[in-house]
Amino acid sequence: MIRKLYMKPFVREFLRILLAITISLGLGFIITLLVSDDPVGAYQAFLTGPLTRINRTGEWIKETITLTLLGLSVALVFKANLFSLGQEGQMLLGALVSGSISLFVPLPAILRIPLALIAAMVVGYLFGALPGYLKAHLNANEIVSTLMLNAIALRLYDYFLIFHIKPEGAGYNASDFFPKEGILPTFIPNVPFLAEAYELFSRRANITIMLYIAIAVVILTWYVMYRTPYGYELRMLGANSKFASYGGINTKKTIVLAFAVSGIVSGLAGAHLGMGIHEKLIANITIGIAFEGIVVALLARNNPIAVPFAALAYGYLRAGADIMERTSDVSREMVLVIQAIIILLVTAERVLPIIQQRVNAARANNNLSMNSEKPALEEGG
Amino acid sequence: MPAGGKPPAGYLMEVCVPPIIELKDIYKIYPNGVMANKGVDFSVNAGEIHALVGENGAGKSTLMKIIYGMEKPTEGKVFVEGVERHFNSSRDAIDAGIGMVHQNFMLVPSFTVAENIVLGQEPTKNGLLKKRQAIDETLQISQQYGLRVDPEAIVDTINVGMRQRVEILKALYRGANILILDEPTAVLTPQETQELFSAIRKLVDQGKTVVFITHKLREVKEVSDRVTVMRKGKAIGTLPTEEATRESLARMMVGREVLMRVDKPPSERGRKVMEVQNLSYVDETGRRVLNNVSFNIYAGEILGIAGVEGNGQTELVEILTGLRPATSGDALVNGNPVLNKTPREVRMAKVSHIPEDRLTNGLALEASINENLIVDRYFRSPFRKGTSIDYKTVRDFGAQSIKEYGILTPDGDLPVASLSGGNMQKVIVAREFTSDPELLIAAQPTRGIDVGATEFVREQLVQKRTEGTAVLLVSADLGEVMSLSDRIIAVYEGEITGVFPDAESLGEEELGLYMLGIKKQPAEEMEVLL
Ligand SMILES: Nc1ncnc2c1ncn2[C@@H]1O[C@H](COP(=O)(O)OP(=O)(O)O)[C@@H](O)[C@H]1O
Ligand SMILES: [Mg+2]
Repeated sequence: MIRKLYMKPFVREFLRILLAITISLGLGFIITLLVSDDPVGAYQAFLTGPLTRINRTGEWIKETITLTLLGLSVALVFKANLFSLGQEGQMLLGALVSGSISLFVPLPAILRIPLALIAAMVVGYLFGALPGYLKAHLNANEIVSTLMLNAIALRLYDYFLIFHIKPEGAGYNASDFFPKEGILPTFIPNVPFLAEAYELFSRRANITIMLYIAIAVVILTWYVMYRTPYGYELRMLGANSKFASYGGINTKKTIVLAFAVSGIVSGLAGAHLGMGIHEKLIANITIGIAFEGIVVALLARNNPIAVPFAALAYGYLRAGADIMERTSDVSREMVLVIQAIIILLVTAERVLPIIQQRVNAARANNNLSMNSEKPALEEGG
Repeated sequence: MPAGGKPPAGYLMEVCVPPIIELKDIYKIYPNGVMANKGVDFSVNAGEIHALVGENGAGKSTLMKIIYGMEKPTEGKVFVEGVERHFNSSRDAIDAGIGMVHQNFMLVPSFTVAENIVLGQEPTKNGLLKKRQAIDETLQISQQYGLRVDPEAIVDTINVGMRQRVEILKALYRGANILILDEPTAVLTPQETQELFSAIRKLVDQGKTVVFITHKLREVKEVSDRVTVMRKGKAIGTLPTEEATRESLARMMVGREVLMRVDKPPSERGRKVMEVQNLSYVDETGRRVLNNVSFNIYAGEILGIAGVEGNGQTELVEILTGLRPATSGDALVNGNPVLNKTPREVRMAKVSHIPEDRLTNGLALEASINENLIVDRYFRSPFRKGTSIDYKTVRDFGAQSIKEYGILTPDGDLPVASLSGGNMQKVIVAREFTSDPELLIAAQPTRGIDVGATEFVREQLVQKRTEGTAVLLVSADLGEVMSLSDRIIAVYEGEITGVFPDAESLGEEELGLYMLGIKKQPAEEMEVLL
């Protein structure tokens, strides 16, 4: 029975992640022992911090939402055996257009918010399609192109923020707070019999309806990936691109779409940063989170259903780290070490074959090289 | 190279006996049970250029790997300069002065030419590579042996010809006196081949011994002193090149095999399904791979292509299936042009394709059997319903294919990688046969699969043809081509050299002469039969 359960890929994945996290937490504690005067207290802050206060829990959940969207975005590209670092640019532009709509388009909330979210997705789609097009039609390296596009998006974002969006004469690089019509509502509806909960959450831990949207996107991504022709094309491209072409799949189109669809989700994550978390546009809005989708996707092995769980776990780590940093003498760098260990452990299975290949290649070369010290020409005489 | 090292003096040691390499009664059985060498005697004299010829799978590479210490013989003895040796690795062979350049190169792509050549015994100072010295040494041996390379180029960026020269120099740098080249000309253009040959001659002038493997009898005549022919794991004979004619070599290579009998009702040739007109293809390196190829395929016949591998068959199939653009010419299926179309468009014209290399093209190994079965039809009814794929239909179809084609697996949701080679091929056959093709292009349909699966695939091919499908069969297995085909065309260097309307009565030796470019039918004669 237990054996059978273990055979289920989902259960196995879950246990694997759990084990990886446990081992790295153990190693993390050893490190804490070395650097802290109060290691137990510090580590406790780290381990339980996010659950100690409702606002801390709120931070964790909000971070999880962003991480979930980013993880899905990355998984969509990874699944096609492509690589993208473009989530930062897509998020920035998503935040920029959705923020502008939230700030300046005089529509009631019921129209303004959907419009802002849709605009963020469209921009993400278009900006995502760009590196896809460059890859498919010009064979441009997608790592380089997505990074360069990030730089462009960042400049665009800063330009609009500083010269058009921030209030005139302000001494800081940020917009005004969004008006109420432009902020995502709390996830608990404001109805009489939920009034207390509503009060609590809207004041202390403002988790928004993005929670539901994220869950919907998870399901939708799974559906697209595993139930639609497009998802089939994406997965076959990822499994063996030569097979995909041979079978008649338009691989170029699939590549462009992989990047573009991934951009939709990142654009939405960008909207969440502005409309759900900061409630305004600030400089460096994506800092510290732009590339975290990669970790989440790796943890989840590109499985959309596993993504929110990976995001919860990873988000918890990040939130705990924040709290430990604030409340103890251990620095944030330590948690980066723990994170690195997790990533290593979880991805080891995938990285190992690559290492094995390298070793084999090196061996093959060693076979050809001989141990005699005498180079060839000396033996001629 | 330390400057004080003596250059190899111009004198040649006149070694008469013993041969520099001698193999006695070599048997080699691979762990998978394939007996690649069956009692081979083989000897090489010092200072000669020795050609080794034979069809694919004859056991040539295996024999050479035994000399080079990469494979251990199951039985038999290896002598180098008269002394029996037991090499445990190629390192031992290198120490004994033997070098080998493999069919597929083994260079580090991100290193420079010079770094690759000195790799493993780099000139170093305090553990650091002395780049300058590595470059100088590379230039020096490059000049000495007339093998032109650019020492500072990154290997990834240089062409195949230069890569090969780097491999040769690498072996020489390690002190090789005996150089084994495994099909060195297979990847070269005619000019590069000429350059290689003059380099080989120069090596021999400087006292080296060269063994080289080839399929091409012209090259044997051109450059070798002696030639050994292998067939099906055995050495058929060794003779001085001047005594060998291309005819005699061809006969030794192809030999007479017992044809397996395939029950085949007589062909009922129907209408013309495919028409190929003046098809030519020039590859990226400028090599003319296909030259004005024209032929027709009719419903209800198997048209076999007989040729030694590497004479344009692979490219022909890829072009006809939309995987490679043609340079010029035309190809029609039922009157619809299929040249330079996408694979999807070609498939829509009712063409099926069993690809030559099933692991690279034919399957996605990590995807499930079911998903591998629908790559040509997932987007249409009954598999597509609305915006999604109906996975119930997919599963039912998978279960039915698994049953009908005898694919050994408990579950169609398992990855294809879990199947044996023969069953993988059955997945492909199931997919390509159930798409209701009017033209079926089968490339190496039974390569590397077990006897049972081979028989199954052959029966299925014949059955399809009897049901009225036009079949184009490309196979390196001459026996297969001869026993399955109704009509055979022989190809050599991208041209059709003969058409044989009555495959049954054709002699294998006769066909061999056309496959090796020794004989060619007059154009007018062929035209009627194509
Ligand atoms: N490493 C291996 N393991 C199992 N079988 C092999 C291996 N290498 C070659 N063979 C088999 O041995 C036979 C001879 O192969 P090879 O020596 O490469 O022939 P050739 O070089 O003449 O084409 C073939 O049937 C091939 O499939
Ligand atoms: Mg070989």
